[in-house]
Amino acid sequence: MKNHLFLAFSMLLIYSCSEDVEVSQSSTTDAPAKSTSLDRDPFESNYKPLESERTLIKSVNLYDGLGNEYSNFDVLFDDGIILEIGKDIVDNNATIIDARGKWLTPGLIDIHSHMGVYPAPSVRTSSDGNEATSPNTAEVWAEHSVWSQDPQFSLALKGGVTAFHVLPGSANLFGGRGATFKNIPRNIIHDMKFPGAPHSLKMACGENPKRVYGNRGSAPSTRMGNMAGYRNAWISAVDYQKRQNEYIKKSDEAKELVDPPRRNLELDTLAGVLEGEILVQNHCYRADEMANMIELSKEFNYKITAFHHAVEAYKIADLLADEGICGALWADWWGFKHEAYDMVPANIAIVDQARGGQGCAIVHSDDEVGIQHLNQEAAKALSAGLRAGYEITKARAMRWITSNPAKAAGILDQTGTIEIGKDADLVIWNKNPFSVYALTEYVFVDGAKAFVRGEKELQPVTDFDLGIINPSDERASL
Amino acid sequence: MKKLSFLIVLLSINVSANSILIKSGQINDGLGNSFIGDILIVDEKIVEVGKFLNSPSAKIIEAKGKPVTPGLISPISNIGVVEINALDVTNDDSPDFFGPGFSVFNAFNPHSTLIPWNRSNGVTSSISTPGYSSQIFKGMGSFYLLDGDIDITGNADVAMYARLGAIGGSRAETIQIMESMFELALNKDELELEELLGTTFASSMDMQLQDIQALSRVVNREIPLVLEVNRAIDILQALRLKNDYDLELVLMSVEEAPLVLDQILASGVSVIIDPMDNIPDSFDELASNIKLGGILSNAGIKVMFSTQRSHNYHLMRQGAGNAVAHGMTYQAGISGMTSIVADVFNIQDRGSIKDGYFADIVIWSEDPLEPSAYPTTVIINGSEISLETRASRLTERYTDKRDIPSSYKH
Repeated sequence: MKNHLFLAFSMLLIYSCSEDVEVSQSSTTDAPAKSTSLDRDPFESNYKPLESERTLIKSVNLYDGLGNEYSNFDVLFDDGIILEIGKDIVDNNATIIDARGKWLTPGLIDIHSHMGVYPAPSVRTSSDGNEATSPNTAEVWAEHSVWSQDPQFSLALKGGVTAFHVLPGSANLFGGRGATFKNIPRNIIHDMKFPGAPHSLKMACGENPKRVYGNRGSAPSTRMGNMAGYRNAWISAVDYQKRQNEYIKKSDEAKELVDPPRRNLELDTLAGVLEGEILVQNHCYRADEMANMIELSKEFNYKITAFHHAVEAYKIADLLADEGICGALWADWWGFKHEAYDMVPANIAIVDQARGGQGCAIVHSDDEVGIQHLNQEAAKALSAGLRAGYEITKARAMRWITSNPAKAAGILDQTGTIEIGKDADLVIWNKNPFSVYALTEYVFVDGAKAFVRGEKELQPVTDFDLGIINPSDERASL
Repeated sequence: MKKLSFLIVLLSINVSANSILIKSGQINDGLGNSFIGDILIVDEKIVEVGKFLNSPSAKIIEAKGKPVTPGLISPISNIGVVEINALDVTNDDSPDFFGPGFSVFNAFNPHSTLIPWNRSNGVTSSISTPGYSSQIFKGMGSFYLLDGDIDITGNADVAMYARLGAIGGSRAETIQIMESMFELALNKDELELEELLGTTFASSMDMQLQDIQALSRVVNREIPLVLEVNRAIDILQALRLKNDYDLELVLMSVEEAPLVLDQILASGVSVIIDPMDNIPDSFDELASNIKLGGILSNAGIKVMFSTQRSHNYHLMRQGAGNAVAHGMTYQAGISGMTSIVADVFNIQDRGSIKDGYFADIVIWSEDPLEPSAYPTTVIINGSEISLETRASRLTERYTDKRDIPSSYKH
């Protein structure tokens, strides 16, 4: 069914070109122009990797992000792509990095970041993460708020983060679209967008929406009000999707555009979820509410990709595993609000180990400091899991900050593991990354040195950092 | 009523006439020393630290070379005065009426879930402080032992808390107000309190008797002033206030301290920092840097640690670990969570593993600065404390695979 719709949609894009002759004539390229009334992917990625060189990392200890650990391995990459992984690789054309005794991991990925939309300094003039003016703002896109000069990007890069997903805040039932970025700070945000990464829809349960709107005397003011708000919106979305698909079908048959329905940005997003093109990232703490959200997704036939924060995920870990929903979680945050009161430090491990290890656990940050230390957060979660009696290797725990968030962001085909053919998004650590004393030495994004410790020219400095304390200096050396 | 509690005290002394011998620990004594040794505890106190100690009647705990440290002391926490931040009916850390005279002391709840949680993670005592306040002086914090006993052990009003910087209004006026309040407090003995309270300044600031009394303790060096400040030039202003009013000053946050390192060192003040906060959160913190802890400590400044967020005050270990990873010495990391806090806040006979000190001691699974480390034994006032927490109970319940409702698993 989905495939059919997708085909119809693609064909329609081609027909639409003929409708836009006048527009496309003004274009200097021969590429077919898309009708703006149907282009569901405007503002697309214009990312280009930094220049890189053919590189061979020698004799390194390696976590591959799939759950395996190897000692004394070599990894060869060129043109941004991993070419070879194994022992005793010889390549006469590659620059060699001797990494004996060091550790190599995939670039870390944060599935829950507000970098750029809540940049530093944290001041009202650039606090652009929550469009808290209506409980449903599915029409807003986080990427349109991102400040490209946020100094937090470089700090996260230094912490080994090569890709991150930026979400709107949780004030609303539907907060808007999230987007994924490669962590190469650039001064135009579309030059950072992860090529081919799907959008997400941020939804939020519980205290935040009911507090924000309840305090204004408007709906929702209760958890049942939250649920009614979601259901009403999905009813409209189903109707919109039906009209869009009828239009596509009619146009398909007539081989021209027939009565295009009026577009609605909010419903575009929700219909994108129903079509499976946009992934649902759902802020939700309590187990009973997550169960309600799962029922809701079945009522309207959409998929929840991940529950975020989910302090009570351990109470329904088997259900999450059965439904194929990831838990994007903190190692130990609790108590800041009532729905975060039942924290257990083994939450991540319990979600991971559900149904004999079928669970999908993610360490997320939601925090500009936490994102710099995802490896330490994973170390805490692993330690708690071992104390709770699970047998979990460090190699498996590495999945929580690499392949599992890549999967939840819809970019696992490109990154998140060390495998032949994947993007060479890699980190060399001076010590085992589960230690507090481990520091990144090299961070590669698409095979290019995006950060090298101790080499100032290989460390990004934002416009913000430049000359702000002392005209002849940078803000703070990494 | 008095008689009854007196009886209980007598009984408990008899019952707790116990001794514990910790054998072969990698002892980090909090004073900068690290050695393999034994610790003999009798009743509440450490009576001997050394090698090959023996005590036939003592309970033996084999540390087997694992790290042993003094119980950690959180220099700034909400323990016992805030249960859930976003639920105001569980918050007792903010005054509605008093300014500097606000004392959290009587609010401490020994049954708060934060107590078992933090002590099972190695924090055996803490200073609980006033929280948010629109005022410059937030009030006074108190010291508490985290034994959870309804018969609370603690010291009331051990420090005054204030802030200077980007908090709305002009920081120039903030300094003027601080100076005026200090002047008022300095006049306490010459003028009648009623007369002081009647001044235009005191009445327009809504100052109360308690506010002036508390400030007079500050200007008389009875308690330290913990001043949260970040911008380099504000740090210098704070040091000037210290000189002008002869204050016992502790600086907190100080993210731009490296720019005025020599002046801080010369002033002899100690600092409380969050070593992991390298974010320029405000225009006061532009020089924010993860190397802050090492820079300050290696210059000879005494460094203590705050944490990123509420509730998990044991995470100062992770902060100290990151500070060490970025240049601080290991022993400075340990001392900053133990003996230095005791020294700065005049907490008598705690914070070090030393003959005659109270036995607040933690044995760790591994290097306590590693985030994966956890206590295997926690001793407070000579008594071994249960490591059970609400979180451990919930974990047991939800890892119990019996096919019955969770409500029946207990």
